[in-house]
Amino acid sequence: MATPAKSSGAEGLRPTLGDLILAALVAAAAVTLLFALRPAGNSGALTARISVNGETVAQYDLTALDEPIRVSLDELPYPAVVELSPEGAQIVESRCPGEDCLRTGAIHTAGEQIICLPNKLIVSLEGASNAPASDIDVVAG
Amino acid sequence: MLKRTTSLSVLLSLALLSGCTPAAPAEQSAQRTLFAMDAPMSLQISGDRAQEALEAAVSELQRLDALLDRNEPESDLSHLNAAAGSGQPVSLDGETIEVLRQALDCAAQSGGAFDCTIAPVMDAWGFGGSGDYRVPGTEELAALLPLVDSTQLQLDESAHTAQLTQTGMEADLGGIAKGYAADRLTALMADYGVESALFDLGSSTIAAVGERPGGGPWRVGLRDPNDAQQRLGVLSLQDESLSTSGGYERNFTQDGVTYHHILDPKTGYPAETGLLSVTVVGENAALADAWSTALFILGEDGAHALWESRDDFEYILCCADGRVLVTEGLEKNFAFEGDAYGYTCEILRR
Repeated sequence: MATPAKSSGAEGLRPTLGDLILAALVAAAAVTLLFALRPAGNSGALTARISVNGETVAQYDLTALDEPIRVSLDELPYPAVVELSPEGAQIVESRCPGEDCLRTGAIHTAGEQIICLPNKLIVSLEGASNAPASDIDVVAG
Repeated sequence: MLKRTTSLSVLLSLALLSGCTPAAPAEQSAQRTLFAMDAPMSLQISGDRAQEALEAAVSELQRLDALLDRNEPESDLSHLNAAAGSGQPVSLDGETIEVLRQALDCAAQSGGAFDCTIAPVMDAWGFGGSGDYRVPGTEELAALLPLVDSTQLQLDESAHTAQLTQTGMEADLGGIAKGYAADRLTALMADYGVESALFDLGSSTIAAVGERPGGGPWRVGLRDPNDAQQRLGVLSLQDESLSTSGGYERNFTQDGVTYHHILDPKTGYPAETGLLSVTVVGENAALADAWSTALFILGEDGAHALWESRDDFEYILCCADGRVLVTEGLEKNFAFEGDAYGYTCEILRR
């Protein structure tokens, strides 16, 4: 079988050192922009968000914790204490009537929430890009 | 060299731009979590005017909350309750009259299983909002039960007035107001050209407008009443609403006995009909809301009879014996997963 002959045009388009340097520079710029334009807050770390009446009052990167910490929410109508650990979150003390939030127990997975209605308090877990993507849009019940 | 370099850089730049610049979004997305009607709510809207639609939806929820919450001193319902037994009709907003009318219709059609005048009994148990849970005495309940009678809630729809005929009566729209709100939000979306939205009004009431972003129906996980970390299955919803009632939602334990908040208007005690949860699906969210409560109280046979008599809703019952009963209209929309937790699934046909 005959070897295809190279055209003079193809010979002329062979990358030069300058082409390669420029390509490297553009690729570096692409990588830089990729990081610069990534969505803020989507670090993939398991994060606990504490919100009151729809407003976020605190946010914690749980993967950065070495040991459990306790967050006292003394300004709420019914003071409560949230315990955060690398594994998840739990309301461990609450003076609210009903104490449904205490009975919820610990949450461990992104998308889970603890709700304290009398305080209009929500503790929710977010992030954890290593967790499997949820196959549902909402949970009923 | 210059020409080659320019060609290469243009190609690489195009690749760079195509990778880093997202395709121009055809529509925007807006989300908000808020508390209203004694529940955390989550709104998710997509469309060219999503943000405007979201603000309108939040305002609408707050407006309805102020109108229909009996624990809000200046609400329509508070005015109605305060005048109970006075013999004086109370002027109410046309929407309050409309919701009360729907509540009375559901009461009549469910044989009283759904009754919006059950508030005095709810309060005796602490389920009326105080959270001060207790088991009322039998004499106390016997004295309160005569006040639970929606036939004594009189409406004059043309005059926009209503009255409760006995002193001590109180109306509570907690069993239907979130559904009504879901209907209002759904209607509101049309004003903003929104074709994709999901309204989670406290987990118990969910309304799906159109398809989810990316296409296909919205996917709703139905929680296992025995374990919040598990689900019975996934329900596909599109332009429909669902309402779920379960004894696990609000309850307390005293002397080893657990008492839940779904009270039987005839006995004043938590309904014990062998059901753990009831989910109703239909186009009318207010009806779905009321029917989920009514079906829980009616039990398996009563629920089936009501379903056979109507064609505007479908349901899923989770029975205490492990059976999950699904009416045939949901057969194709419900992906059952409860077998992993010992449940069995049966399709009910007319």
